[in-house]
Amino acid sequence: MPSMDDTPSMALIVRRDLAMSAGKMAVQCAHAAVTCTRRARQHGRLYDRWLESGARKVCLAADDEVHLNELLAMAEAHHVVHALITDAGHTELPPGTVTVLGLGPAPRRTLDAITGSLASW
Amino acid sequence: MGLRSWLHRITAPHGAVEHIRQPVKLVCVVNQSLKMGKGKIAAQVGHASVGAFLGAGPTHPGHVEAWLASGQKKICVKVPEDAAFDRLMTEAKALNVPFHLVRDAGHTQIPAGSKTVLALGPYESETLDRLTGELKLL
Repeated sequence: MPSMDDTPSMALIVRRDLAMSAGKMAVQCAHAAVTCTRRARQHGRLYDRWLESGARKVCLAADDEVHLNELLAMAEAHHVVHALITDAGHTELPPGTVTVLGLGPAPRRTLDAITGSLASW
Repeated sequence: MGLRSWLHRITAPHGAVEHIRQPVKLVCVVNQSLKMGKGKIAAQVGHASVGAFLGAGPTHPGHVEAWLASGQKKICVKVPEDAAFDRLMTEAKALNVPFHLVRDAGHTQIPAGSKTVLALGPYESETLDRLTGELKLL
């Protein structure tokens, strides 16, 4: 159900088929969060509202790389700030593995339209 | 703005960002006593990293620049309880290492105000290893 609350939020969407360790997954999500934050800085008011309201972040699950790319296309269509993270491959994964898609900060309603069907971790 | 960053702003020479040549990283220390799930940890480490990155911007611009330019290296380690955070923050202050402590808003899983993650850096890896080298990887 779409939320009535329109506080800006950020979604960190992780591929569940990779079975990353908790530490690996956290680092990849942090990478997405920092990259999205940098890209959002030019979006003045939305960015400020996001920071002032506690820089909300949620962690969600996607099936695989194909699924992440579908979500990425939806984010582009909605003009939502995004960052697709590719692992450098130092540990656990082969270099170049796509791990996480960060979306936002964006109005919660917009994010829900893209990520509404995803499970949380 | 904190007193330290305000002092830095008025005393630092304008336009002169220190160039950092040593490897730079960010260390996120996770409080294990809270028994957070994987997704919760990931979001909290995300908070810590964004907070550390934004907080260190005014006080350690050279470190932030070097960290971003070298691919935002991060590692995640764990401590059994948040008592370890106090020691780490005291030592970080003494070494001029920037840090950011995340307290949870308590919307999910854990009580409001819980200290979830302490981010140390971005700073020289060598100094951070002296602070956190003993801690186990998450």
